[in-house]
Amino acid sequence: MTNQTFSTWGSWVPGRGQVPPDTLPVEFSPGRPLKAFMGWDGLFVHDESANLVAMVSAYMEQARKESCGQCFPCRLGTEKICGILEKIGAGGGDPEDLHRMEALARTMMNMARCDIGQTTPRPLLDILAHRREALLEVMEKGEPIPRGNYVMKVTAPCTNACPSHLNIPDYVEKIRFGRWDDALVTIRRDCCLPGVIGRVCTRPCEFNCRRQRVDVGIAIRALKRYAADRELETHAEPPLQAGPAKDRKVAIVGAGPAGLACAYHLGLAGYRSTLFEALDEPGGMAAVGIPHYRLPRFILRGEASHAEKLGAEIRYGVRVGVDITVDDLIREGYAAVFVGVGATESAKMRCEGEDAGYQCFMTGIEFLRRVSRNERPMEGKKLLVIGGGNVAMDCVRSALRMGFEDVNLIYRRTQAEMPADPQEIREAQQEGVKFHYLVAPVKIIASEGKVTGLECEKMELGAPDASGRRQPVPVKGSNFVIPCDAIVPAIGQTCVVDCVLPSEEVDISRWKTLVVDEITGQTRQPWIFAGGDCVTGPATLIGALAAGKNAARFIAQYLETGACAPSDGDWLEKLIAKLGIFYFKEKMPFQDTTMKLHRSVLPPEERIKNFEEVEAGVKPAQAVKEAARCLRCFRIALAAV
Amino acid sequence: MSKFSMNGREISFEAGRTILQVATEHSVEIPTLCHLQDADHAQVCRICVVEVAGSDRLLPACATPANEGMEIHTDTLRVREARKTVLEMLVASGQHTCFAWNRPRETWSEAHRRSAQRPWHDRNCPADGECRLQELIVEYGVDTEHLVPQDMDFPLDDDTPLMVRDFSRCILCGRCVAACNVVQVNEAIPQPFGRREDKPLPRGWFPLADYERCVHCGECVQACPVGALFEKKAFGLIGPGEGDRIRTTCPYCGVGCQMWLHVKDGRVLKVTGVEGAVPNEGRLCVKGRFGYDFIHAPDRLTVPLVRENGVLREAGWEEALELVAERFLRLREAHGGDCLGGLSSARVTNEENYLMQKLVRAGFGTNNIDHCARL
Ligand SMILES: Cc1cc2nc3c(=O)[nH]c(=O)nc-3n(C[C@H](O)[C@H](O)[C@H](O)COP(=O)(O)OP(=O)(O)OC[C@H]3O[C@@H](n4cnc5c(N)ncnc54)[C@H](O)[C@@H]3O)c2cc1C
Ligand code: SF4
Ligand code: SF4
Ligand code: SF4
Ligand code: SF4
Repeated sequence: MTNQTFSTWGSWVPGRGQVPPDTLPVEFSPGRPLKAFMGWDGLFVHDESANLVAMVSAYMEQARKESCGQCFPCRLGTEKICGILEKIGAGGGDPEDLHRMEALARTMMNMARCDIGQTTPRPLLDILAHRREALLEVMEKGEPIPRGNYVMKVTAPCTNACPSHLNIPDYVEKIRFGRWDDALVTIRRDCCLPGVIGRVCTRPCEFNCRRQRVDVGIAIRALKRYAADRELETHAEPPLQAGPAKDRKVAIVGAGPAGLACAYHLGLAGYRSTLFEALDEPGGMAAVGIPHYRLPRFILRGEASHAEKLGAEIRYGVRVGVDITVDDLIREGYAAVFVGVGATESAKMRCEGEDAGYQCFMTGIEFLRRVSRNERPMEGKKLLVIGGGNVAMDCVRSALRMGFEDVNLIYRRTQAEMPADPQEIREAQQEGVKFHYLVAPVKIIASEGKVTGLECEKMELGAPDASGRRQPVPVKGSNFVIPCDAIVPAIGQTCVVDCVLPSEEVDISRWKTLVVDEITGQTRQPWIFAGGDCVTGPATLIGALAAGKNAARFIAQYLETGACAPSDGDWLEKLIAKLGIFYFKEKMPFQDTTMKLHRSVLPPEERIKNFEEVEAGVKPAQAVKEAARCLRCFRIALAAV
Repeated sequence: MSKFSMNGREISFEAGRTILQVATEHSVEIPTLCHLQDADHAQVCRICVVEVAGSDRLLPACATPANEGMEIHTDTLRVREARKTVLEMLVASGQHTCFAWNRPRETWSEAHRRSAQRPWHDRNCPADGECRLQELIVEYGVDTEHLVPQDMDFPLDDDTPLMVRDFSRCILCGRCVAACNVVQVNEAIPQPFGRREDKPLPRGWFPLADYERCVHCGECVQACPVGALFEKKAFGLIGPGEGDRIRTTCPYCGVGCQMWLHVKDGRVLKVTGVEGAVPNEGRLCVKGRFGYDFIHAPDRLTVPLVRENGVLREAGWEEALELVAERFLRLREAHGGDCLGGLSSARVTNEENYLMQKLVRAGFGTNNIDHCARL
């Protein structure tokens, strides 16, 4: 960098405060300097050769395109400002135009309805305030100014938080307009299982919804489910259109969410694929992990079949690495392989007796797999489940529905530290699960090879560790025994990828996950891609769908060009994530406050009798009302490279 | 009760209302262009913005809840400037030729002349004199002297016999859309809004109707605050302030919608719904709004006819009434009142309908009376 950074970044969002210029990113992508950046919170310039007038013209043109017509100041203001900038850019304009532009920009910012109108004039106002000479200079010279290389992206706090970057404000607005069908088209661009994700997503978007700064966030997940449910209720055929057929084929290992997403998006691009699945069912952990009371099977099967409609074939009962190897697949003529084998092994508790093979001791994953086939996994009345995550919640709640009368959960920290979704915890408690906090397992007690109890010790929270979480430490001499009929540890999963891909061919991390390029999903072998839990470790459905979607794009690129590389858009996305987009401290005075969406759930005493879906979908009028609460926090980013 | 101050005056209000609602109740006028209370439609025009202490931005009165302790100013210089900036852009975005209409043609721009070539532009704008935009343009002192109509191929829809949609004067307020979809629930005007890039001109965001679903109720016309939507039949026949407005009850059916008859030189030229009156709150159906031609229909019966040997001939009232009375009396004497009956029509006045049932019940002595609106 030749020049010192000029920055206004961070000076606009109320309650936030200017970002120290020396902390701003200087690289756009490895080895490529970022000359300047413009966005919703001002601008910063590292390299004064970036022409601010050309930049802001490009930026306002994008704003003009994004303007939705729903409010006068932005609809008319973007048009007018672009007109003036165009005149200046072509070598015309006079100082009076600068005054007009300033008044227009202020009017937009002060009066517009959503963040397109409210935030896009900010860089322009910054230039008018601090770099007016740049504009005057252009006018003086009277020559057209050339455009630089600009990368632009439209996003929103919710969109940015979603691993698959669904265009949430767009589909929420379509629901407000009564167009659930159009909303689904938007959703399916980035998420091929809307009804599944609409039910069981961990909803990072909602935790980053800006409406929380006013009252409560938008019920984004429920709205997605609404759109998917409407399609089913109206018996509408999903509009799936496979791309023009390509002749090369892709093999996909594992028909879990990652594999299905990869097949779906390859299908859209015209590539046919074959999925090799060890089980006899599509969906991976969504099928054999997540219980039916949260995700009815027919929803998953229906949506999984969409990949097949787009030309994918699923071969069930084939375990790659055992029945067939990846090398065989290449030999059979598949031009690329996507590996999405998940994290299907249970992690160890490091507790005495867990490998002894006692009766009535079973891992959470195995327990839920049997439950998913409507088998009662074990006999007995009193069950202990160990763990504090969502899998543990699924185990205890399923156990009640399978006839266990006394279901207990043991967790070594307190409820405040539990990683499970608060809603899951609350519902488990309502259903009668007993929670025991600050208790850790020590030894499984058995008699004649069958579980009779669990020796535990009490814990207390010690000093916070590096991550700020207080670590549980055992209380000396506090050991005690909980008698029980069965034990289920549910403390996490690990990956087993080495039997699918020999470690000489690909890199495997010390957590036994596959090492791939963060953006493209490509392994050391250019024709092998991977994504989902087998890369990240146990994570989320939407993360797996995102990985499958991205890999499909790069596989297509690899097949067409022999190589693949992230696009500028991908780098900009990373840059935006680094800058941050949701500000927990933003002040938003006097917005219209509204009622929160009412969730309709079965009463606990009813729902524990069977595996009926607990939560009901929302009605059209409710959905429209909820959608109308969205603030349309669109943000436009522009990077000059 | 909560309290806030508006333009320095302390005002009490019940919680749960917007600033606009409280202002209206206390006769503080805040201008709006897009707000349509019945449809919960607001937030588009932003003309209603006000200053609220504690907010850097101007806030739309139509959507900002009235809060305890707020300090609001509805008419400051800053507010007026902001409104004016928007109005200037707005009026320049269409063909608002009313401001030049009475100026000598020689002073017109090329664009003015081309605009006048458009169908329905051979007269002044049908909204002239009762247009929300025109009022505000005048009130805010927007320069109309140098105003040039936007020279563009605006869509025009005059394919139907009753209404014209002339988008050269549409301000995109969305009221017609809300009126159709939310008030009447015909859902015949699809939401036109969305990213500008996805809505190429000339159609752009203009709210075109879907005639597969339109029932021609004219609710959109009534909702339009400007001269973009208007009635074909009344075009050029009656201007604002001309003739009389007579309030009446629609005779077509039993709902009893309240309507205004716009009457000039003894002729009904237009019908509109009475806003704020039960039962219809301004709404009308296609018959109530547009089915008034029969009143002045040339083939309407104006004198009694008597059939003689199978041929109808004109007769005097005296003679006709004598004849009918005499025959009916005879029938009633011979067979009793129930051998007679009456069927009345929606196309006579309510008073005449009343007299008809009186005649049948009290005169004929029977309850055999019915009316076509009950069908
Ligand atoms: C009990 C439970 C509850 C969960 N709840 C949620 C939730 O509510 N929300 C959420 O977002 N996430 C949830 N998750 C996490 C989520 O299910 C996973 O992150 C997601 O399924 C990962 O997808 P994947 O495709 O990477 O792997 P998986 O879903 O594990 O799919 C891998 C697939 O590959 C197959 N396979 C493995 N090895 C081979 C082989 N050698 N040959 C052929 N096929 C093979 C497997 O049979 C499986 O079908 C939950 C997980 C569990 C276990
Ligand atoms: S994008 Fe936002 S600010 Fe712009 S016209 Fe639409 S609602 Fe208004
Ligand atoms: S209010 Fe809407 S756009 Fe804003 S973060 Fe929430 S869902 Fe996204
Ligand atoms: S719509 Fe209103 S402002 Fe436009 S020409 Fe007609 S009367 Fe004038
Ligand atoms: S036609 Fe009239 S009511 Fe409809 S959007 Fe245009 S100006 Fe508004």
